[in-house]
Amino acid sequence: MKNILHILCIFGLILLLSGCWDRVEVNDLAIVTAAAIDIKDDNQIELSLQVFIPKALSTGGGQGGSGQGGGGAATLVRSQRGSNISDALSKLQSKIPRKVFWGQCKVFIFGEKLAKQGIQEHMDFLLRHPQPRERAYLYVSKGNPKDALEVLPPLERYSGEVLRELSDLHIGMQVTMQDVQEGLVGVAQAGAFPFIKILPPGKGEEKLQGIPYIVGTAVFKKDKMVGTMSEKATRGILWLRNEMEAYTVILKPEGVKGEVSLNPVSARIKLIPQIRNDKWKMLVNVDTEGAVVQNGTNLALTSPKSIQTVEKAYQEDIKDRIELAIQQAQHKMKADIIKFSKEFYRKYPKEWKKVENRWDEVFPKVEVEVNVEAHIRRQGYINKPGGLPEKEVKKQ
Amino acid sequence: MEKGKISFLQMAIMMYPTIVATAILGVPSITAKYAKTDLWLSPILASFIGFVTVYATYKLHKLYPEQTVIQFSEHIIGRFAGKVLGFIFLFFYIQIIGIIIRGYAEFIVNSFLVTTPISVIMASMVLLCALTVHGGLETMGRVAQMFFPVFIVPFLTSIILLSSDMEFKNILPILGGGMVPSMKGAIVPSGWFTEFFLIIFLLPFLKDKQKGMKYGMISVVAVMMTLVAVNLIVLFVLGPATSSKEYPLMNVARYVSIAEFFEHLESAVMAVWIVGAFVKISVFYYATALGTAQWLNLSDYRSIVWPLGILMLEFGFWSLPNAMETERFDVETFPLYGLLIQTITPLFLLMIAIARKRKRLGSKKND
Repeated sequence: MKNILHILCIFGLILLLSGCWDRVEVNDLAIVTAAAIDIKDDNQIELSLQVFIPKALSTGGGQGGSGQGGGGAATLVRSQRGSNISDALSKLQSKIPRKVFWGQCKVFIFGEKLAKQGIQEHMDFLLRHPQPRERAYLYVSKGNPKDALEVLPPLERYSGEVLRELSDLHIGMQVTMQDVQEGLVGVAQAGAFPFIKILPPGKGEEKLQGIPYIVGTAVFKKDKMVGTMSEKATRGILWLRNEMEAYTVILKPEGVKGEVSLNPVSARIKLIPQIRNDKWKMLVNVDTEGAVVQNGTNLALTSPKSIQTVEKAYQEDIKDRIELAIQQAQHKMKADIIKFSKEFYRKYPKEWKKVENRWDEVFPKVEVEVNVEAHIRRQGYINKPGGLPEKEVKKQ
Repeated sequence: MEKGKISFLQMAIMMYPTIVATAILGVPSITAKYAKTDLWLSPILASFIGFVTVYATYKLHKLYPEQTVIQFSEHIIGRFAGKVLGFIFLFFYIQIIGIIIRGYAEFIVNSFLVTTPISVIMASMVLLCALTVHGGLETMGRVAQMFFPVFIVPFLTSIILLSSDMEFKNILPILGGGMVPSMKGAIVPSGWFTEFFLIIFLLPFLKDKQKGMKYGMISVVAVMMTLVAVNLIVLFVLGPATSSKEYPLMNVARYVSIAEFFEHLESAVMAVWIVGAFVKISVFYYATALGTAQWLNLSDYRSIVWPLGILMLEFGFWSLPNAMETERFDVETFPLYGLLIQTITPLFLLMIAIARKRKRLGSKKND
């Protein structure tokens, strides 16, 4: 009798395994792959969600090689206005038959207009909600961010994936929710987001086949966007943040015709703050190595002298880029997106306390010295300028 | 009353999750609020309270090797005053368990089981712990031993997995604001260290009594090192955002992403944490059940395990209105409350006991 009771008890426990109230089936979820938030003229927020359609994947992918997933899109976009994100979301939920799930959403796009009015209130929702990830990427888009969700990129399954892949390649800055929060609550009180645009579709492609791509940087002071930086200046920022991976540096060596292109292979950046006699100075030391990818000059890079010429041009080029970026941040935007404040705070906590409240005024006055140490390590599969007759190669 | 015996290692293994389980979840953020970048120093300062508590507890145990605090306080300060003090201890523990269960359930409801009624989560944990306590001290020791790797292995692996996302420079400036911020930050974790007083309920049942003190201290050191490690990880990954998070370790675990498919590790943290909370609640529960039985002069504590469980549930459910108040209790009330009951009271008991012993020895000499 007692044994039977025990067995019944054990089987009774199975009932508890289902998790009762919070039981969720995957086919009851609307998996959000990207979200866009913008503000409209009547001061209402427009929330657009790109929701994954599992059906499109199972029919399209099975046939293999058809590329376009059975002709249908893998995602659908729904938008809704509301007084804030949560309001818009609750209204939007009534248009989606499944429960909205944020756990897989890796892309959040803010509209430019909204960014200029401040994002703090919206960040609160994203950080408070237990589902969105700290690792999700954030962007600011030119124009309506909804467009970036609606395009149907030819190569990837949906546009959110395009942006995520681009960020992973370090095209433009890689900014996660964690970075933004750190920037906003940390000592710098400034942030930078990748700024995106829609690349129009090519000839022969359908109307919606453009893709969103990164064109520069949106600069934030506190939680408000104050301006944008060009792609060129962005690369300087990328150097400073040590995210320089996917770019090619094109330089003109002195005294010869043509250009040499280099890929930075590795870079070490050191920011060294100094305070002497109340003068704040930042030493930026860059130590980098590159590999030649194209040589349009007549220099044979085998001779030490021509390497020196090219290395010098390489150094100059990097220095110019970094200085341009710092110049724009310091004087045009007056926003500390290069995290000088963090370095000063770490090394000089006492002095930092004194300027904490007026960092805005101090930051543009910080003197910057950029030292670049750049070397060329490899030259690829040929040792002379390709296709150039022997006698025209400058040996030095 | 308790016929089982545990080894000194089992005691140390039971005490470790008892302190660490809840301390790693919410405490780093509270510490960060006061200590900023020095939050890793705070557990080291707080562990001082732990050493004092273990020392006082062990000395008391030495004087009355077969008894728990509920029994020997009657010998030290008299029958009536001892009963009153015993009641205070038991009341304290029942209330604290209620709040621990509440804190545990608030975390689960907040992050995973959003629509599940909190009473169900609390009750199922109490049910499980009641079964374990009913099984006796040996069962608990074995369970703790069995779960120890489950607790420690994911923790260590997560450190390795996170190493690529750590920004070690976040630790600077060290002592930028002097010692005061890290001392302020030490107040809350020190409340957790006072919980080492619970070994008074385990020491009488050790097989090898000589090593009780040594392993008590080792346990304190292990807890301290774990808290320092957790605080450092949180600081390296989250930086200045640490203090705004409710459960920073959870955010950190979610940050793990290896090759884009090995990610979303929060359920692992959750599992680890439930195991820890289970051991913690069981140890507290056992101490309360044993103490209550001794206070009432019952022959066995098993008969009051179930009624006590209901009482704890009531305390957890009614004593705090919401999650914010639960956290406020941890920050504002518990450090002082815990220190008073679990460290200062034993110290006083120890002083009185030593004074009385001296007097007795003195009077014997005079005879």
